[in-house]
Amino acid sequence: MDFCYGASRALEDISLDVPYHRVTALIGPSGCGKSTLLRCINRMNDRVPGARVTRGQVRVKGKNIHDADVDLTQLRKQVGMVFQKSNPFAKSIYDNVAYGLRIHGEKNKAVLDEAVERALRHSALWDELKDRLGASALALSGGQQQRLCIARAIATLPDVLLMDEPCSALDPISTLKIEELMSQLAREFTVIIVTHNMQQAVRVSDFTAFLHLGKIIEFGPTEDIFTNPREKLTEDYLRGIFS
Amino acid sequence: MKSKTDHANPFAGDSTGIQKRETAARWALRAGSYLVVLTTAAIMLHIFVKGAPVVFRSEWPFVNTQFLTELPSQLHVIEDKQGRRYETGVNGADAIKKELGENYRSEKTIAYSGGGILGPIVGTALLVIVSVSVALFLGVACAIYLSEYAKHGKFLELIRLAILNLAGVPSVVFGLFGLGAFVLTAPVFVDVPADRSVLAIPLGFTTLSFEGWDTCVLSGGFTLAFVILPVIITASEQCLQAVPQGFRETSMALGATRWQTIRYSVLPFATPGILTSSILGIARAAGETAPIMFTAALAFKDKLPWQKDLPPLPADASVFAQWEQSLQRFLGIFTESVQALPYHIYTLAAKIPQNEYSERAQYGSVFVFLVLVAALATVSIWMRIHLRKKYRW
Repeated sequence: MDFCYGASRALEDISLDVPYHRVTALIGPSGCGKSTLLRCINRMNDRVPGARVTRGQVRVKGKNIHDADVDLTQLRKQVGMVFQKSNPFAKSIYDNVAYGLRIHGEKNKAVLDEAVERALRHSALWDELKDRLGASALALSGGQQQRLCIARAIATLPDVLLMDEPCSALDPISTLKIEELMSQLAREFTVIIVTHNMQQAVRVSDFTAFLHLGKIIEFGPTEDIFTNPREKLTEDYLRGIFS
Repeated sequence: MKSKTDHANPFAGDSTGIQKRETAARWALRAGSYLVVLTTAAIMLHIFVKGAPVVFRSEWPFVNTQFLTELPSQLHVIEDKQGRRYETGVNGADAIKKELGENYRSEKTIAYSGGGILGPIVGTALLVIVSVSVALFLGVACAIYLSEYAKHGKFLELIRLAILNLAGVPSVVFGLFGLGAFVLTAPVFVDVPADRSVLAIPLGFTTLSFEGWDTCVLSGGFTLAFVILPVIITASEQCLQAVPQGFRETSMALGATRWQTIRYSVLPFATPGILTSSILGIARAAGETAPIMFTAALAFKDKLPWQKDLPPLPADASVFAQWEQSLQRFLGIFTESVQALPYHIYTLAAKIPQNEYSERAQYGSVFVFLVLVAALATVSIWMRIHLRKKYRW
């Protein structure tokens, strides 16, 4: 697959088979196209003028997501996303988690309650927050906010969860909590995470893809990549020769 | 050995005039600012000193109820031979003259200066309500389109330029535009189209005739809406842009459509700012004279808009006929022409001979006008603060 922003090619010859119900990490130096690749998977790049896939296709659950009969809202419901900066809406905790369900037309209070509880349990927030679901999400700590964003993303029960450097703005303890979360999430979701922290990739992912200048240099089980890289470039990057 | 204080000051000021120019510049700028503040204060104080005595009274109920609750009328001033003056309305004049008998010396009549200014207050309130409703609806719609939907490019820049230019159009031009567009050509449903109808489309049961709304609150309100539209669009757009992009991205990533995103995670957070911008709109709409001169305002009217003359109903009229008349009277708030405060002030100040009595009516009107605008602005500010508390990020 090729992907361009206007005339400049951001991704070239990308070919990647993301394994089902595993955590896949995308690593690489800044500007290598990891985030662009991630945003291709739920077509968030559609918002950028001139951005388009110029060759090849992106398939999710066997369907080319750029087909005319793909409904963008359904795609994004099933391919959830968590952003680098935690950005809860300035609403209550409950409303934040229920947002995705509500915009998809769910009005039944019992169903919403259940979904909110399930999502919060999944993101390990339920015990901390169950007594103050009505409080503003902005009153939470940074780590809690990011976990709330994860809860919000998984409340609609997506099949794929995209995470764009979810821990880059967090302290080590919050990061640890989210990393613990990820291995649990992989039981139910296919998780793809962009990270610039290689230790994190080792800790959380089952597979790793190394990108450089818009190309996938190497892709394989995380262990193999980190202990025994096939490519010189990967080895150099992992050893910190360039970043 | 010399002590430290005996050393030449290494940081001594430069006496070549740089310092003097600095001081001069500072004082010139300061004087300019003070002049502005002083002028504004002088105007306000003048209006307060001259206007407050007209509106307020020293004893209960402390306000001049007549001035606030009666329609403008002719003022009769009758003088007796001892130089005492009696002020009265049209109806009281004859009685006083009869009572004075031989003692009667002279009578003066001053147009529009008697009674009160309820008509203009009501008219201005109606015009402001109509124009701000229309302008907020159109303006926010336009701002949402420009900020959230429209593709960046030459065309968008052109639209922005046009909106900015609209803000510079003289208000009398808006008045003429309103006369042409709303008073003379806006579409109405009528049974028989008027001769001047530009275009009449028969619809079977009725006719859609482009013959205008005549001079009325609706015409004036729409015209004023176009006057304040640029302010509202520009300000609303800025408020929408101020909502963090992250809210939009997250909402979209959860599968929301663009409209859902705007409705649930952009508009709620932009509303306080949009309301603030409407404050400016309110003050402007209430204050404009030229746009309503041709479209809504009358120099004099002896009825409130909902006191329309209708043929008396027969005694055995059905409930429906009575309802219909009530409805017609109610709709008068849109379809009748009104007096408006700015135009009333203009009439008092420029269209009638000046004397102490007309001056009193002028200052009273101006004072009430200022208080009214300040009150409207206060309500908007209160709403903004209230909403800010609810939606903060």
